[in-house]
Amino acid sequence: MRKLLRKYPVLGYYFNKVFTYFVTIFGALTITFFMFRLIPSNPIQNWVMSLERQYSVTIEGGDAMINRYKEQFGLTGTLWDQYVGYLRQLILKGDLGPSFIAFPTPVQDLMIAAIPWTIALLSVSIIISWSLGLLIGSTAAWFRDKSVSDIITNVSIGLSQVPSYLIALFLVLFLGYQWKLLPTRGAFDAQYQIGWNLDFIRSVIAHSFLPALAIVMVSLSGWILSTRSLVISNIGEDYLIYAEAKGLKPRKIMIGYALRNAMLPQATGLALTMGSMVSGQLLIESMFVYPGLGQVMSRAIAIFDYNTMMGIIILSVVSVMTASLIVDLLLPAIDPRIRTAIKA
Amino acid sequence: MNSQAITQPNAQMLLDIKDLRIWYRTTRGNAQAVDGVDLVINRNEIFGLAGESGCGKTTLARGVLGMTKLPGYVESGEAIYYHPVSDSSVVGRDLLTLPAREMRQMRWRHIAYVPQGAMNVLSPVLRIEKQILDAIYEHSDLSKEEARARMFECMEMVGLDRTVARMYPHELSGGMKQRVTIAAAISLKPGLIIADEPTTALDVNVQQVILQELKDIAASLGVTLIYVTHDMAVHAEMADRLGIMYSGLIVEVASVVEAFKEPLHPYSQGLIASIPMIGGDRSRMVGIPGNAPSPLAWPSGCRFHPRCPKVMEICRDKVPPMLEVAPGRFVACHLYPTPMSGAAPASEELN
Ligand SMILES: Nc1ncnc2c1ncn2[C@@H]1O[C@H](COP(=O)(O)OP(=O)(O)OP(=O)(O)O)[C@@H](O)[C@H]1O
Ligand SMILES: [Mg+2]
Repeated sequence: MRKLLRKYPVLGYYFNKVFTYFVTIFGALTITFFMFRLIPSNPIQNWVMSLERQYSVTIEGGDAMINRYKEQFGLTGTLWDQYVGYLRQLILKGDLGPSFIAFPTPVQDLMIAAIPWTIALLSVSIIISWSLGLLIGSTAAWFRDKSVSDIITNVSIGLSQVPSYLIALFLVLFLGYQWKLLPTRGAFDAQYQIGWNLDFIRSVIAHSFLPALAIVMVSLSGWILSTRSLVISNIGEDYLIYAEAKGLKPRKIMIGYALRNAMLPQATGLALTMGSMVSGQLLIESMFVYPGLGQVMSRAIAIFDYNTMMGIIILSVVSVMTASLIVDLLLPAIDPRIRTAIKA
Repeated sequence: MNSQAITQPNAQMLLDIKDLRIWYRTTRGNAQAVDGVDLVINRNEIFGLAGESGCGKTTLARGVLGMTKLPGYVESGEAIYYHPVSDSSVVGRDLLTLPAREMRQMRWRHIAYVPQGAMNVLSPVLRIEKQILDAIYEHSDLSKEEARARMFECMEMVGLDRTVARMYPHELSGGMKQRVTIAAAISLKPGLIIADEPTTALDVNVQQVILQELKDIAASLGVTLIYVTHDMAVHAEMADRLGIMYSGLIVEVASVVEAFKEPLHPYSQGLIASIPMIGGDRSRMVGIPGNAPSPLAWPSGCRFHPRCPKVMEICRDKVPPMLEVAPGRFVACHLYPTPMSGAAPASEELN
């Protein structure tokens, strides 16, 4: 083992990162669990009461019923027992408990149905937004003496101040209702067969267009501004003067040198954004009634469905942590300086 | 091309800078960093450009490369570069009015630059080979193998091992980085290399070795070298001819032997007198009294007059013209109104 470590010092670094990863996730899980248990709200009581109100009946033996549900939801015994039970269920069976919003469907089933929609919508829009942001941001930095740059910068600053729901609202209002260009609700037309057929796919793309556009518009300004300031902070660096002295084409200097050096933090940013996407665009998903995790989450919040909320929060924590673990593991490959630092 | 029309005054001339002014716009007015430089660089010489910090050396060097950056701008002047297009004909082109694209093609191919602060000129995230090869590809039609062969050839000339090509800058010592920049500069066999204080960050021993290498390479490749530094001891070792710059102007040009033996301008005399000599008499180490003037407002008349130990009445009002006081010896100082005969009046006490 020690011999192996001496031969490949990078293994030690990897081990360290993976260890930290598990410890952090475990910690986050524990904190989330106790936080939800300590919030003074009794969702089951509320639920039974609302059922009673809804059907204007008094459920016989309401207390007995509440107790039965409590058992199902893992709310019996001491807090410690509940915690151990929750962990055991989660780790051994991958079970996050039943949901309220679609009782008795288990939380994990709800999430599994929603995840593909969220991932499809968000990964595509995040990548588009990131690439555009890098391109526009570095152009703005490179031509910082020209008015194009001022225009890009000011528009981006303006856009970054507009709340995301306003942007979504405008898109729905104009492109959806006023001009009727694109559908504004759901993820596909119910009339088509779900599967790999052209009509369905076309419908999915049409339905995702507006929410994707909204997400791009919301996040683009951030990428533009951060790329711009990263590249500008590089301008005047000796290696750019040198690249210019070599008579390289301006485009090549911008991409091969200025942007290449700004790339590292932006690649990290991309990975982390990807990781946080499962909880990322709650508002936009619910505005477009998009059947992703964000929508599930907002329904869960509305009636304090803590099992579902915890499930989604844990998933977000795990995916953010996984993304940052991947970044950490890849960094030595991307940045030669880190590789050397590890060796030393 | 209008540049064709410029005829070369003499075959030895490589670069002819005429009344060059490069100013920086600042909130407090124009900083006239380079303000009336006249200078001729000859083929195959090592020209040393000396002068204290802030006198405009870097501004001048970058100006000649067409790399003046805002808030700097070329106020006026010419910098005509003569380069052979065939065995018999030479083209002179004003570097300051060349279209950006043509200027870009001149760089590295004809005029290479080793910038000040060589520690940071290499991009930290790219391999050395990439940073040498991209310039070769940019300016030549060499194939991949030929370009690499050229690169290794140049690396060998500066004593770099082939393995360095695959390394990153942070894996190299300061001296090795400096060698990389020299290898890169000679990779296209340019006519002129401008080296701006390339060795100031290195320790003295490494500096010695690299200077000698640079000198040998310049001689063997037939490259002209403009070597910029405030370090007079380096000039004594390197240069064939020396130009002394003061307050945005060249005040004296002479062969390095003459300049050291018998400096004419009182500023040059001060500079040379302040070189620390090993084992020399320490009391002789006199600096130049006073501070360098601000480029925002140069003193009237001769810009050196407020600090000059030999200041005369005329110096306060009248700008001394640059005169050839002896063959190949130029000085802008009222002490030398006419071509000299014999010893300089001002240098007696230095001998
Ligand atoms: N961007 C700028 N804006 C305003 N003034 C500038 C700028 N760059 C340089 N200057 C001024 O121009 C003058 C000449 O600067 P330059 O860098 O050419 O000097 P130098 O001789 O190379 O000095 P050093 O030996 O320190 O490298 C200095 O007085 C400096 O203050
Ligand atoms: Mg300088």
